[in-house]
Amino acid sequence: MAKIKEGGLSTALQQLDRRWIFLLVAVGAILPILFPIGLSVTVTPPVRDLFDRIESLTPDDVVMVSFDYGPTTKPENGPMAAAVLRHCLARRVKVVVLALFPIGGGAMATEELDRVAAEFPTLRYGTDFVNLGYKDGGQASMKQMGEDIARVFPSDSRGTPLSRLPLMQKVRNYRDIKLVVSLATGIIGDWWINLINAQFGTPVAVGCTAVSAPKFYAYYDSHQMIGLLGGLKGASEYERLLLDAYPQVKPVYDNPMIFNAMRGMDVQTIIHAIIIGFIIIGNVAYFLGRSRAARV
Amino acid sequence: MFLRVQLPLLLTFLAGLIPIVAFFFTEKARLVKVPNDRLEKWMIIIAGFAIMLGVVNVVQGNIRKIERKGPGWHYAIFLLIGLVLPGSFGLLGAFNVGPFHGISPHADGSPSPFSFFVSYVFQPLQATMFSLLAFYVASAAFRAFRVRNLEATILLLAAVVVMLGRIPLGESLFAWIPGGKLALGTFTEWLMNNPNTAAQRGIMIGAALGAASLSLRVILGIERSYLGLEKD
Repeated sequence: MAKIKEGGLSTALQQLDRRWIFLLVAVGAILPILFPIGLSVTVTPPVRDLFDRIESLTPDDVVMVSFDYGPTTKPENGPMAAAVLRHCLARRVKVVVLALFPIGGGAMATEELDRVAAEFPTLRYGTDFVNLGYKDGGQASMKQMGEDIARVFPSDSRGTPLSRLPLMQKVRNYRDIKLVVSLATGIIGDWWINLINAQFGTPVAVGCTAVSAPKFYAYYDSHQMIGLLGGLKGASEYERLLLDAYPQVKPVYDNPMIFNAMRGMDVQTIIHAIIIGFIIIGNVAYFLGRSRAARV
Repeated sequence: MFLRVQLPLLLTFLAGLIPIVAFFFTEKARLVKVPNDRLEKWMIIIAGFAIMLGVVNVVQGNIRKIERKGPGWHYAIFLLIGLVLPGSFGLLGAFNVGPFHGISPHADGSPSPFSFFVSYVFQPLQATMFSLLAFYVASAAFRAFRVRNLEATILLLAAVVVMLGRIPLGESLFAWIPGGKLALGTFTEWLMNNPNTAAQRGIMIGAALGAASLSLRVILGIERSYLGLEKD
């Protein structure tokens, strides 16, 4: 109180202990998880485009899902990975999963595929979906797969030679892939567009973190990619579309023990509101301080 | 001189030139495609060995830090434990030594020692580190986002609009206006599709030109700093 009297409200605000900010952010993150608000999202064109493209595929088509993220961005990339895999498997579209991100990409791929595939007990590993595992080498590995996937991944993540997997007997290279979906943090999403779409003509879509989304709009706008899931918002929009089209997946999204993007949007809403609130308070303090300085 | 300068320059020239030439030929041009194919395979192997180089570097640097008892040397011990322990689990698991069978979860769903470490130690720690960003972003926005001049004001307004447009709350703010529910989302998409895309393209084209010119300097032997000659 004494500080407010001495230096004015502006000084008190500008010198606000940042631990108060941290506390408010923590409360804003925890409360919506415990007490979901259930705010609805509006679907944007980049998300709908990817959804519609997968809807147009048949059970004979193959989608390659590349896990190009690690645990750091799992809260954003994880829900979109699950939603895309769930969509493909619900449509009986064949899925080939791989990982190119070195720090935990393989673990993310195995975790998500195993969890989602368990929801479809009639589908068989090796026939309907395959997990190729992780491979180092980034761009070189991606380009080599344009010639022959088995050259880069001689065996799958379980050590089974690709020649013994019925699905991989039909899939030799990108010519046999109808769509690549890269769930990416960092630059690997760009590589799928710059190298694979540009050189082999394979349609590419990217699911990225919100901070990476701005750069991908340039690729989306120039039709170098067919769809974009930007951050948690993009993932929640995809979940909304999936739920509307496939009501059978509703129990998964109603399960409070499974994190999903729609639930995450509650947290994001509160945190964005807190940040905007602090920006306003910070600027009010700034202008109060300026007018006070002008008076002195 | 030949082994230290001319040979590396020649190898760099060939390693840079072959992929460029191969890009313009189809599979039928075996003379170009075969060496390019071989180069790409080598690249995958070299990338694997580069990780080993990184491991050696980290071990050397941190052992030196512990020996000198430099600031925060205690953390170096934990870093080395974090490197050696899961690394050993992974190596032993890959070669199926004793109880360290495999690196993926087992067929019955039980975790291997390595996958246990990844799921219950590595993943939560990584997620925690990244989650801290939310706290620092809020604090930084409070202290740094100021309406100081026109440019800062435009940046601030764009940031607030995009932040609002990315949450359902922003849509609700204008829902009382007929058709207003979609207004902010539509405006956010316009911002992302137009001003943002224009700026991103400028950055991308600039970066690509820079990368191309630097690559050309390396391929033609103009840029030689990677040879480490200036250290002599």
